[in-house]
Amino acid sequence: MPPLLDALLALIMVALAALTLLDRQLVRACVWFVAFALAVSLTWLSEGFLWLAMLEAVLGATFTGAFLFYSLGIGPGAAKPRGRLARWHDPLPLPLTWRRAVLRLLPALAVLGMLALALAGFIEVPGPLRLGGMGLIFMGLWAFALHRHLLRRLLAFNVIGTGIFLIMMALVRNSSPAAGHGLVITGLLVALLGTALGALLIRRINGLDASREPATDVAERGSG
Amino acid sequence: MIARLGLLTPPATQPDALGTVLLVLVTPLVMGALAAIWRPRRGWPIAALALLPLASLMVLSQEVLASGGQAWLIELGTLTLHWRANGLTLLLLWLTQVVTLASVAYAPAYLRVEIGDQGEQRWLWPLQGLLLSSLSLIWLAADLLSLYIGLELMGLTAVGLMLLPGKVEALVAGMRYLLLALVGSLAFLLGVALLLGAWARLDLGGLAMAAEEGMVLWVAVALLSAGLLLKAAAFPLHAWLAPVHGSAWTPVSALHAALVVKGSFFIALQLWLVLVPAAHIAAWLVGAMGGGAVVWGGLLAWRATKLKDVVAWSTVSQLGYLLLGFSLMIGTAPQVAEVAWEGTWLQLVAHSLAKAGMFLATGNLIFSTGESHVKGLAGASCRMPLSLLSFGIASISLIGLPPSAGFTAKWLLLHAALEAGYWLWLAVLALGTLLGAAYIFRVFRYSFVEDAEPPEARRVPWSMELLALGLAMASLLLGLVAEWPLTLLRTAGGGA
Repeated sequence: MPPLLDALLALIMVALAALTLLDRQLVRACVWFVAFALAVSLTWLSEGFLWLAMLEAVLGATFTGAFLFYSLGIGPGAAKPRGRLARWHDPLPLPLTWRRAVLRLLPALAVLGMLALALAGFIEVPGPLRLGGMGLIFMGLWAFALHRHLLRRLLAFNVIGTGIFLIMMALVRNSSPAAGHGLVITGLLVALLGTALGALLIRRINGLDASREPATDVAERGSG
Repeated sequence: MIARLGLLTPPATQPDALGTVLLVLVTPLVMGALAAIWRPRRGWPIAALALLPLASLMVLSQEVLASGGQAWLIELGTLTLHWRANGLTLLLLWLTQVVTLASVAYAPAYLRVEIGDQGEQRWLWPLQGLLLSSLSLIWLAADLLSLYIGLELMGLTAVGLMLLPGKVEALVAGMRYLLLALVGSLAFLLGVALLLGAWARLDLGGLAMAAEEGMVLWVAVALLSAGLLLKAAAFPLHAWLAPVHGSAWTPVSALHAALVVKGSFFIALQLWLVLVPAAHIAAWLVGAMGGGAVVWGGLLAWRATKLKDVVAWSTVSQLGYLLLGFSLMIGTAPQVAEVAWEGTWLQLVAHSLAKAGMFLATGNLIFSTGESHVKGLAGASCRMPLSLLSFGIASISLIGLPPSAGFTAKWLLLHAALEAGYWLWLAVLALGTLLGAAYIFRVFRYSFVEDAEPPEARRVPWSMELLALGLAMASLLLGLVAEWPLTLLRTAGGGA
């Protein structure tokens, strides 16, 4: 694939991640996430990692997406989301002020700076993967610090993880691809299991909460 | 130090040598699955069946001791995993098996009398089996991929165990723990990616030779340590620990405090010794964090109102002693490092046994009185002397009074600190001992209030009492025979 298309693909991937992390509607954010996972899968394909492309499409897009929608109460049987966690319009629990947004940016900037310093030594790493991965890590960290909602944090976790996988494969593609594959596949499985556990938790807390106290949102209180 | 970790042992050439290790790793999984199908109602069938993993570990111990350390290569296509076993590995494997066995044997009676039919009890057994296997993998692993797999398995299993009660508080605490475990694992993975990118290998022995000081190494070690110390509840990343224990089942709390946090600590210390063996300033900073943990954790335990919180915060304090080991082993003179090496592992073993015993004894006290606050113990001394005795014996080791193993361990650490000239650590050790005595005697002060209305005491099943007492006694008596674990550390590949 020509380098221009590669760069374009990386750009699309980062844009989809931004939409996933910042869309105000949870359901739409999850739809963006599935699109993002498919874009990641395409990126793997264009870089020549056939196995990772397939695994990302199956584990990342299909299964993780299914668990996300399950946590919102959307399934084949019920088209409309159920429960309060799945409000169609999900306002940010805290008003997003400039001060808060900038303060929460600091940890992400710190990690990005460290990473840039460390990666400066590797010259032959392909640009799109490296920049795309760093962009994903940066945005994911920011969103993770910014949001309180468990589902949004799970989305952010998945985005950061994808960024790390991209950087990892960019670093090891020529030297030791087997070890990289092992680590990334383990990481994909861990991300899937973590998301599944989180989705089950959201559903369970939602159920317990709806039957007990209708006033406060335990999921938001808990992850605070 | 790399030789002490057993990373220089040449790998076995014959392929059949792997059988025993796989048996040690797989037996707990099989038994956990079996227990999920036929759920045990009594402790004795578990104790009888537990002879199986113990026997396989016995065979492995004999093999390792005979050859003085073993290493294995596992070829998976183009991917190679490295495992090794030496005296230290054996010590940790035995510790894990003993503590897990005690907590598993405690569980049936506990579930029957305290929990009834609430929660997801069926999952308790396979998750405990999985936890034992993943911890064993962590002790055995000598490459970063195996360590990553073990760490993640352990983390997710621990989260699952915390969720079993199924109540809102447990779920909320579990959710927080899940997020934190996931963040920790991301930091770990990014660090591993940098190391793999720079030196194109994952085996620790090779990395120790290949790694060169520089920006990449520092950033990688910083990321790895941040993730691991977060998971190990090291000060100042400890705030999640007590809420997680508050609503968990007692045997789960015991396993978590005794073993899970130690797994992350072990990986962190091993990586420092392998990657940055001379970074004495950074190690001193970690030691200072440990000193802060000893003092702050002790204060938190002293101020805690709930009994389980006292025990949980005391874990933060005791882990601080282990972090002191970083500063005494990295970049110090060989004779200092040698004493600190023995002190640190002895402290780990002593704390695991004592803390598991203490959590079980606390569970007995809470079950018997139905009261989770320290103040609710008023008058407990005349109703449940045995539970209080177990609690007291465990606390002898936690405070560090002779003749317990905790005392010997702290004595060795003190000796190393003196030799290294770190006078500040003497103050930390003294203050930690005083604070330990303060929070323990606070519990006893309430329980020996004689004129209070004695609480309605339920009878505790004898198996629960005996297991708590057994673990506590083990941590005490280990101090009398401290030469055994230390000899095990020195022999079997631990020399040099």
